[in-house]
Amino acid sequence: MDDPGFLQSCLLAGVLVPLFSFVYLAFRGSKLKLARREEDEHGGNDAHDAHHPTGPGQGEPIAGWVATAAIGISLILAIIVTYGWYGMGALQRADAAEHAARTAPLWTMVGSVPIHFGVKLDSLTVIMFLMVTLCSTCIHLFSIGYMKGDPRFARFFTFLSLFCFSMLGLVISASLLFLYIFWELVGVCSYFLIGFWFEKKSASDAGLKAFVVNRVGDFGFMIGMGLCFVYLQTLSLDDTAARFAAGAREAGWMSAPGEAFQMLGAQRAPELFTTQFLGISLATWMGIGLFCGAIGKSAQFPLQVWLPDAMEGPTPVSALIHAATMVAAGVYLVARVFALLTPGAQMFIAVIGCITLTMAALIALVQTDIKRVLAYSTLSQLGYMIFGLGVGAWIAALFHLMTHAFFKAVLFLGSGQVIIGCHHEQDMRRMGGLLRKMPVTGLTFLVAVLAISGAGIPWLGIGLGGYYSKDEILAVAYYRQHNWTAAATHDEHAALPTGGQIVLAGYAQHDQEGAAESQAPVLAGAGQSAAEGETDYVARYAAGEHGVGTLPWILFFLPIAIAYVTPFYMGRCFFLTFLGKPRDKHVHEHAHESPTMYVPLLILAFMTVISGSFLFRDYVADSAPTAAPLVAAINGHDHALHAAHAALPTLVGFAFVVGLGLAWLIYRRGFDISEKIRVLPVIRQAHTVLWNKFYFDHVYNTVFRDGVRYVLAVICRLFDNWIIDGIVDNSARLTERISRFSGVVLDNMGVDGLVNLVGYIAWNLGGLFRSMQTGIVRNYILLAALAVAGLIISLWNVPVGVIVFVIAAGIIVIPWSRRPAVASERYR
Amino acid sequence: MNETSSLLTWVVFTPTIGGVLLLFFNRSDTIKRIALMFTIIPFLLSLYLFQPYFDGSAGAAGAGYGRVFFEQIVPWISTVGGFEVNYHVGIDGLSMPLVVLTTLITMLACLASWNFESWKAKRGLKGYMFLLLLLETGMLGVFVSLDFFLFYIFWEVMLLPMYFLIGVWGGPRKEYAAIKFFIFTLAGSVLMLVAMLAFYFYPPVADRTFNIIRLATDPALQALFNDPNTLFLGFKFSTIMFVLLFIGFAIKIPIFPFHTWLPDAHVEAPTPISMILAGVLLKMGGYGLFRFCYPILPEAAKYLAVFLGVLGVINIIYGALCAMAQDDFKKLVAYSSISHMGYVLLGMAAMTQAGFQGAMFQMIAHGISSPMCFFLVGVIYDRAHHREINRFGGLWLTMPVYGSLATLGFFASLGLPTLCGFIGEVYAIFGTFVSGPQALGAYAIPFGILAAAGAILTAGYILWMIQRVYLGKERPEYTGYSDASLREVVVLAPMGILAVALGIFPMQTLLKFVTGTLNNILSLSGV
Repeated sequence: MDDPGFLQSCLLAGVLVPLFSFVYLAFRGSKLKLARREEDEHGGNDAHDAHHPTGPGQGEPIAGWVATAAIGISLILAIIVTYGWYGMGALQRADAAEHAARTAPLWTMVGSVPIHFGVKLDSLTVIMFLMVTLCSTCIHLFSIGYMKGDPRFARFFTFLSLFCFSMLGLVISASLLFLYIFWELVGVCSYFLIGFWFEKKSASDAGLKAFVVNRVGDFGFMIGMGLCFVYLQTLSLDDTAARFAAGAREAGWMSAPGEAFQMLGAQRAPELFTTQFLGISLATWMGIGLFCGAIGKSAQFPLQVWLPDAMEGPTPVSALIHAATMVAAGVYLVARVFALLTPGAQMFIAVIGCITLTMAALIALVQTDIKRVLAYSTLSQLGYMIFGLGVGAWIAALFHLMTHAFFKAVLFLGSGQVIIGCHHEQDMRRMGGLLRKMPVTGLTFLVAVLAISGAGIPWLGIGLGGYYSKDEILAVAYYRQHNWTAAATHDEHAALPTGGQIVLAGYAQHDQEGAAESQAPVLAGAGQSAAEGETDYVARYAAGEHGVGTLPWILFFLPIAIAYVTPFYMGRCFFLTFLGKPRDKHVHEHAHESPTMYVPLLILAFMTVISGSFLFRDYVADSAPTAAPLVAAINGHDHALHAAHAALPTLVGFAFVVGLGLAWLIYRRGFDISEKIRVLPVIRQAHTVLWNKFYFDHVYNTVFRDGVRYVLAVICRLFDNWIIDGIVDNSARLTERISRFSGVVLDNMGVDGLVNLVGYIAWNLGGLFRSMQTGIVRNYILLAALAVAGLIISLWNVPVGVIVFVIAAGIIVIPWSRRPAVASERYR
Repeated sequence: MNETSSLLTWVVFTPTIGGVLLLFFNRSDTIKRIALMFTIIPFLLSLYLFQPYFDGSAGAAGAGYGRVFFEQIVPWISTVGGFEVNYHVGIDGLSMPLVVLTTLITMLACLASWNFESWKAKRGLKGYMFLLLLLETGMLGVFVSLDFFLFYIFWEVMLLPMYFLIGVWGGPRKEYAAIKFFIFTLAGSVLMLVAMLAFYFYPPVADRTFNIIRLATDPALQALFNDPNTLFLGFKFSTIMFVLLFIGFAIKIPIFPFHTWLPDAHVEAPTPISMILAGVLLKMGGYGLFRFCYPILPEAAKYLAVFLGVLGVINIIYGALCAMAQDDFKKLVAYSSISHMGYVLLGMAAMTQAGFQGAMFQMIAHGISSPMCFFLVGVIYDRAHHREINRFGGLWLTMPVYGSLATLGFFASLGLPTLCGFIGEVYAIFGTFVSGPQALGAYAIPFGILAAAGAILTAGYILWMIQRVYLGKERPEYTGYSDASLREVVVLAPMGILAVALGIFPMQTLLKFVTGTLNNILSLSGV
C-alpha cells in the first residue's frame, strides 16, 4: 500500500481481468460444459418458452460463471483501490497520481506528439471504477439466470466481458485518444449486444442504428480531438487542461496568473481563442466537438434516437450498458474535459441537456412498452446530468450519474424479471396486478421509482438517491439563474478561497477590437478579486462570445417542470405493471419470480437507498477543483447555494408527491381513466406527436438512412458506372473505331494495299523475270547490252537511265510474257 | 551501408526459381507443394530484413531516407553515351514493411489457391502457379529496386502475369477486366517512362543517373529539378514530372477518376489474385509516390498538395458511397479499398509527420485487412457460387467460426480501434489537421473533417453488409454449408492476428521501422 504505484496496478489489473475472460470465452466459451446431472437440475425452469428453446445453450452455465468471476475479481480490486485511496492523505494521493502519470508507458507517437497509456488516478476514476464493477457484477449474476437456455449463452458473456474491459478502460484512461479507443470499443460491444438476437430484423436494425448514430457523435469527438491535437499538441487530459488555460491566458480570456503557453510547449494554443469560425472561437468549437461524442453516447438531442431502439437487446444489457454505465460515459467525458470548455460551449451543453430531458420525459408519458418507458426515463435523466454539467454543477451531475446507475439498474433488472416472468411480454397493456406474484421485484422496483422521483423529506434532508442529486442540479441551475452574475458582486464571494467551491468568479472586460464584439468573458478566477467588473455584469457577459450571457429562464423552468413529470411517468409505469387488475389472464397466471435473480436486485436496491448519502459528494469533490479555468463550476456549499437550496423545497420538494399522486389517481386501475382523458382533441393530438417520438425517426430514416443508401449512394454508383466507366469504355470504343478505320481504310486499303501492291508487283515482276529466263542466249545478251546501256546513261543522268532501262526491258519482255499470268493468282 | 548483400536478390528471385522448377512436374499436388514452398522461402528470408532494426544499426526510429540496408549494386547495362543502368537493390523504412507484406500475402494467396480444382477454369494449374510466382518476383522487385530503370522493368514484369491471371482464370467478364487493367496500368507506366527519361537526360552528362536515392539527395539534381525556371515543354519541370508520375501511380492506388479498373478486376479475378491485387498491387502506387514524387519533387508536392488532398477526400467519400450501393459482395470490398486508399493520399498530401505515418500505416493496414476481406468473400463464394449480398443471410448461424472471423476482418476494415484500420485513419486525420501553410494550409481542417466524416459512411456500409450477409435468420438454401475449413482458418488467422497486433502495438509493429525514413523525406522537402 505504501508503494505509490500500487493503486494504479490494481486498477490496471482490474481492467485486464475481464479481457482475459473475454479471450478465454471467445476461444473456449462455447465448448464449456457441465456434467449432465447439473443440466437436469436446472433445465426446464424457463425452458418452456418459444424464445428459449429447450436445453442449455452453448457453454451454459460455466461461461457465465467465468465472466462473473472475472468481473468479481475486478470488483474486489476496486474495493481495495477505494479503500486505499480514501485511506490516503492528500499528499499521498498526489504522489500516487503523479506516479501514475509518470510511469505511463509510451504507446505511440503521432507525429511529434507522444501518446502515453496512462492511468488517470483521481477520486472520479476510483468512484466510477467501483460503481461500474459493482453494477456489472450484479448484472452478470442476474444474467446467468436471465439468459438461461439461450443457445448463444457463451457468446453473451463473451461480449459482456469485452464490454467490462472496455468500460473500465474508458474510466481509467488518462488520454483523450485512449478514451476514444475504449469509447468505440464499448460502442461495438453495445452493437453486438443490442443485436444479440440478430435473427430478429428489428434487433439487428437497432444495433446498426446505435453504432452508426454513435459514429456521428464520434465524428464530432474526432474533430474536437483533432483541434486539440493541432493547437494544444497533446491529447493527455492533464496537459490539455494546462495548455488550454495557458492559451486562454495569453489570448486575454483569463487573467489568472499561471505558466506561459510557451513554457508548456503549446505554441499554437492562443490561436484557439483568437481564430474564429462562423463567429465562434475554435476553443468553443473544440468543446462542442468533444461534447458531440457525449451527444452520441449519452443519446442526447438530436442523436437520442438510438437508445430506445437499443431496448431490443437482452434486458441485462439494457440495464448495464444502456442505463448504468455506457450511456453515462458521455457525462463522464464531459466531466473529464470540463476544463476545455468555454462559456459558449458550456451554454451549448446546458441547452442540449435541457432539450433532451424535456423531450424524453414527455415521450415517456405515452409509452406502453415497459422497457421503453425506462429507456426514455434514462434519456431524461442523462439530460439532467448533461444539463447539470452545462450549468456548472460538476459534482452534482456526477453524483446523479452514480445514483442513477444504481436505481436504473434496479428498474431494468426488475423489468427483466417481469419480462421473463411474463414470458417475454413487454407491453404494460397486458400486465397489471403483478405485485402479489412478484413481491420482491415489485418492492425493489418501487424503491427505485421513489429514488428516481427524488423522494425525500425536504427539511430533514433525508431522501433516496435521486433526491440529493437531482435536487442539487436544480439548486445550481437556480443559483445560476439568479446568481450567475450577482455571485461575483458579493465581495466575500469573489474572495472565497475557491478550493473546489467556486471557480468562476466573474468576467472582466477585455478590449479586443473595440466594437460590439469587443468583449470576451474573462475569468477573474481563483482568489482574485472581481471588483473591477463589479457593475453591469449582465450586459458585459451578454456582450461576450456570441451573446452567451445569463442562463435563460427557460433553462431553469423546464428542468423544474420535468421534475414533476418524472414521478408521474415512473408512477404510471409502476402502477400499470404491479397494481390494478390483471389485464391479461394468461400472462398473469404464469407470472413468477426466479429466486436466482433477485439477489442482485436486493444488492442494487440497497445501494440505491444508501447512495443518497451526502458522503458521496465528498468522495469526488477533490477531482473537481482542477475542473474549470474558463467556465463556472459550482460545487460547494457557499452561502448563495445554500440560499438556493433553501428555496428549492417550495419548488420541487414535493414534486414526487404530486407526480406519483397524480399517476396513482389516473393509472391505479389501468388505462380506463387515461382513455377517457384522451378523448380531448388537444390531448389526442399531443398523444399522437409523442407516440411518434416527435417524428425524429421518420425524418432520420427517410432523409439520412434511405437518402444516403438509396439516393446518394445510388447516384454515385450510377455516376461510376455510366459517367466514369462510360468515358473509359467509350474512349476505348473510340480508340477501337479509330483503329478499325485505320485498319480498314488506312491499313487494309492503304498500308496493306501498299504492301499487297508491292507483293503484287514483286510477284508479277518475278513472273516477268522468270518469263525472261527463256534459255535463249540471244535474249540474255540483249538484256545485258540494255543493262550496260542503262548504266552508262545512268552515269550521265540517273532517272533517265532508269527510265530507258525499264522501257527497253519492257519492250523486250512483253512479247515473251504471253503465258498465263501466274504470279498474281498465286499470290492471292 | 558499404557491405553488400545478396539477400534481396535471393528474396526476389527465389519465386522465379520455384516457378521454373514446377514446370517439370505434372502432378497437381506436387506443383502446389513446390509453389507453396517457394512462397514460404522468400517469406522466411524477408523476415531477416528486420535484423538491422533490431540490432540497433538502424537507430531508434528507423533509418533516414537514403540509409539503405542489404544493398547490392551490379553494373548491368552500360552504353557509350553514358547510359548506365545498375542492378541496384536495397531496402529502407519505406520498402521493408512492403516487402514483408508482399511475401506474406503471396504465401497466403498460394495457400488460398489450394482448391484450384474446384474453380470454373480448372485447367492449367501449372501455368497459374508459374505466373503467380513470377508475379511475386515482379512485385518484390518493384519494392526493392533503387534504380529507376530497374524499377520500371520490374513494374512491367509484374503487369503481364497479372494480366494473364485475371484474363485466363477469371470470371465471366475476364477479358474485359484484364484488358482494362492492362491498358490502365500501361498508360500509367508510359507516363512514368517519360518522367524517368526526363530525370535522366535533363541534368548535364556528368550528373546523369538512374539511382533513385541520388535523384532525391544530390543537391545539384535537386536544385535543377525543383527550380521553377527549369522548363519542360514550356511548363514547370517539377510540376509536369510530378503530374506524370502521379498519374502513373494514381492509376495503381487507384485514385478517382482512374479507379474504375479496380472493381472490374476484383470482381473477375479469382480470390487469391484479388488478395494480391488489393494487398500488394495497390500499395505500389502509394509506395511510388513516397519513393519518387515526394523526395525528388518536393516543390511540386507542396504546390499540388491541395489538389491531392481534394482527390484524397473524394476517394474517401465517393468510394464509401459507391461501396454502399453495391449488390455484389466483392465489388463492395473493392470500393471500400478505394475509400481506404483515400486516406493514404490525404495523409501524404498533408505533408506532416503524422500524415505520412498515417499514409504508410494505412497502406500496411489495408494490405492486411483487405486481402482478409477478399478471402472472406471467396470462402462464401466457393460454397454459394454467387456473391449477391441480398441473397445471403444468417451466415453467422450457419458458419459460426467463419462468421466470427468475418466480423474481425470487416471491423478491421471499418476502422475499429484496437484493429489496424483505426490507426491509419486517425493518423491520417490528425496529420491532415496539422498540415501547415506550405501544404494544405486553410484547407487542412475542412479536409480533416471530411475525412472524419468518411468514417460514418464506412460504418454505414460495412454494418449494413454484415447485417444482410451474416445476421438475420438462417436461410434454408445455406443450411448445409460447412464451416470454415482448417485451410481457410490458416489463411485467415495470420491476417487476423496481424490486424489486432497492428492495432494494439502500432509503434512496435510498424511505425518504429518507418518513422525515421518518413521524417527524413519530410525534412528533405523542407516542410
